[in-house]
Amino acid sequence: MRTPRPAPNVVLLILALVGLTAWLGLESVSVAANRIVPGTGYRVVEVIGGGALLVTTLPWLALAGLAWRPSRTRFIVALVIVVLMLSALPAWLALSAAMLVEGGQARLGIAAGLWVVFFLLLLAMIELRTRLALSRLVGWALLLPPVAIVGLGVARWLSALALWQEYRSRSDQFLGALGEHLLLVGAAVGASLVLGVGLALAMRRWPGLQRVGFGVLNFLQTIPSIALFGLLLAPLAWLSAQVGWLAALGVSGIGWAPALLALVGYSLLPMVRNTFVALEAVDPGVIDAARGMGMSRSQVFRQVRLPLALPVILEGIRITTVQAIGLTAVAALIGAGGLGTFIFQGLGQAAMDLVLLGALPILVLALLVDALLGALTDILRPGVAE
Amino acid sequence: MIDLIHVTKRFGAATAVDDISLSVAQGELCVLVGTSGCGKSTTLRMINRLIEHSEGEIHIDGQQIRRFREQTLRRRMGYAIQSTGLFPHWTVARNIGLVPRLLKWPAARVQARVEELMALLGLSMEAFAGKYPHQLSGGQAQRVGVARALAADPDILLMDEPFGALDPITRESLQDELRTLQARLHKTIVFVTHDMDEALRLADRLVVMHQGRIVQQGRPLELLREPADGFVESLLGGEDRGLKEAALLPVSQRMLPLGPRLLARERIGQQASLREALSLMLWRHAERLTVVDDDDLPVGELSLRRLVGARSDG
Repeated sequence: MRTPRPAPNVVLLILALVGLTAWLGLESVSVAANRIVPGTGYRVVEVIGGGALLVTTLPWLALAGLAWRPSRTRFIVALVIVVLMLSALPAWLALSAAMLVEGGQARLGIAAGLWVVFFLLLLAMIELRTRLALSRLVGWALLLPPVAIVGLGVARWLSALALWQEYRSRSDQFLGALGEHLLLVGAAVGASLVLGVGLALAMRRWPGLQRVGFGVLNFLQTIPSIALFGLLLAPLAWLSAQVGWLAALGVSGIGWAPALLALVGYSLLPMVRNTFVALEAVDPGVIDAARGMGMSRSQVFRQVRLPLALPVILEGIRITTVQAIGLTAVAALIGAGGLGTFIFQGLGQAAMDLVLLGALPILVLALLVDALLGALTDILRPGVAE
Repeated sequence: MIDLIHVTKRFGAATAVDDISLSVAQGELCVLVGTSGCGKSTTLRMINRLIEHSEGEIHIDGQQIRRFREQTLRRRMGYAIQSTGLFPHWTVARNIGLVPRLLKWPAARVQARVEELMALLGLSMEAFAGKYPHQLSGGQAQRVGVARALAADPDILLMDEPFGALDPITRESLQDELRTLQARLHKTIVFVTHDMDEALRLADRLVVMHQGRIVQQGRPLELLREPADGFVESLLGGEDRGLKEAALLPVSQRMLPLGPRLLARERIGQQASLREALSLMLWRHAERLTVVDDDDLPVGELSLRRLVGARSDG
C-alpha cells in the first residue's frame, strides 16, 4: 500500500450514529385527537414494526460505512444518500399519517426524534458540501428535491399533518401576516440603512460624534425589545393625539409605528458599526496612492473607499436583516401584525402547531436572507469577480 | 525641475522639516536618505501637496505649486509608494490606466498606453492585464505600481521607498530596471529610501537628511570621500565606506593597458565594479586580473596595487 488509509471522517460518522440512535430511540411522530389535547408519541418501530425498521437502518449504516474510509467518490455517494433521506422524510410523514390518523379532527404532529433526524441530515449535508468544496449555489440546489417533494405531496398526502391543518384554516391570514412581516422588516432595514450610512459618514467627518453616537446606539441595544415597545407606547399615543396628520397616517401607541421605530433603533447599531468600520478599515496605502495620483475627494470615495468597504457594509445589512426578521416576531405583541401573531396566538391557545406556523417561516426567511446576502457579499469581494 | 526654497513643515509644536532648500534639475535622480523620522517622506509628500508646507516656497518648473489645483498638480507627477497602493478591486490594466483616465484620455489611447507600459516593465499583456493585485508577487506588484506612476508620462516621478518591502534579490533587479528606465526616459525623480546601498546605486544627487534638516548633499562619490560630519559618515557605512566607494567605480577607471607580461588567469569585465574585482582577487588569491570587454577580449589588466592605490592618479 503506497497511500496510507484515509482517516475516518469523524463528523459524518458521529452524525450518522447519533441520527440512527434518534431514529430508533426517540418518538418520531405524534397523533392528537384534536388541536388542543397533547398528542401520543410513536417511535418508528411502533409505526411500521420491527422488520421494516431494520430496513430503514440501512441508509444510516451505509453513511457510517462511507465515513469510515472516506474518499471523494464515497463522499458523493454519501451526499446522494443524504439528499434521498431528506426527500424521504415527507414520505415517512405521509406513511405515518396513513397508518395512525383516523377521524376528521385527528392530526399528525412531528415529534422530537424526527426534528433531530432532520437537523442531523442537514448538518451532514453541510459537512459533505464543505468536504467536496461545492459552491454555495450547488449547496442550495441540493435542497430542491426534498422541498419539491414537500410541495407536491403536502396537499394530497400530508393533509393530516397538524401544521398543514393550521395553515389551511388560516391561509389568507398567513399570506397577510407574511406580507406585514416582510414590509416591517423591509421598512426597518431600509430606514436604518439610510440613517446608518448617514450617521457613519457623519462620524467619520466629525470624530467627536463617535463616542456619543456609539454610546447611544449601544444603550438602545441593551433595552429588552418588549420594554422598548412598551416605552414607545405613551409618547407615540400622545404625539398622535397632538398632531392630526400623524393620526391620519395611522401612527398611534400601538401598531406599526412603535414597532418600526423600535426595529430601526435596534437595527442602527449593527448598520452604523459595520459601515463605519468598513469605511475606516480600507488600507491607508491605497487611499494615499489614490490621492497622490490626483483623484478628487469624491472620486476617492466613490471609486475606491466605497467599493472596497462594500462587502463589510453588506455584511452589516445581512446581520441587521436577520436580526430584524426575528425581532419583528415580538412586534406582534403590540399589534403590529406579522408572523409573530401566530406564535402568540398559539402560545395563548397552547396550540404548539400554530406556534410552529409562525416560527418556521421566520426561520426559513432568516436563512434565506442570510444565504442571499452572503452570496452577494462573496460576489462583491474585491478582486474575485471574474 | 523642482525647487524647494527655505521650506519648513510643522505639525503642531513639532518641526518635521526645518528650513530646507533643495534644487532637483531636469532629468536628475535625487535620493533623499536618512533614518526614520528624519523628514524625508514629509519632504516628498510636500512636493505633491499630500502635505502642505508651513513656510517657504516649492516651485515646479519655476511656478509655485500652490498656484495649481491639488489634483492638477498630482496628475502631472507620477507617485509610487512602498505598499504599492494598487487598488485591490481593479485589474492590473485598469490600475495602470488610472491617471490617463482621470485626464480624460480617449479609451483607445489609454489602452495603447497601458500596453506600452506593460511591455516597458516586462509584464506580458496576456498573463497580467486581467489579473488582480493579490494574484501578483511583490516584485510584479511593484512593477505595476511603477507603470501606473509613469502612465500619463509625467516629467516628475515621486517614489516613497518603492522597493522597501521587497526581498533583496527582487529589490536589486528592480533598482537595475529603474536605472535602465531612467537612462531612456530622463525623468526628474525624487526617491526616498533609508537603505544607503540603494541610495548610492541609484542617486545622481544624494541628499542626507537628519532631524528635519539637510546635512549634506552632492554626488554619491563626493559624499563618500568627504562626509560633512560623523553622522553622514556612519550613515554611509563607517568602515565599509571603502567598499561602498569601490562599488560605485568601474574597473575601467583603474586598469592599465596590457603590458609585456603574460595574461593573468582570472578575468573581469571592464564594466564590473572595483568591489567585484576586489572580491574576485580575495576569492581566487590573485593579485592581478585580466580586464576583458563585452566580447571577452583582453583590453587591460588590473593589479591589486592599482585597485587599492592611486586615488591620486585615478
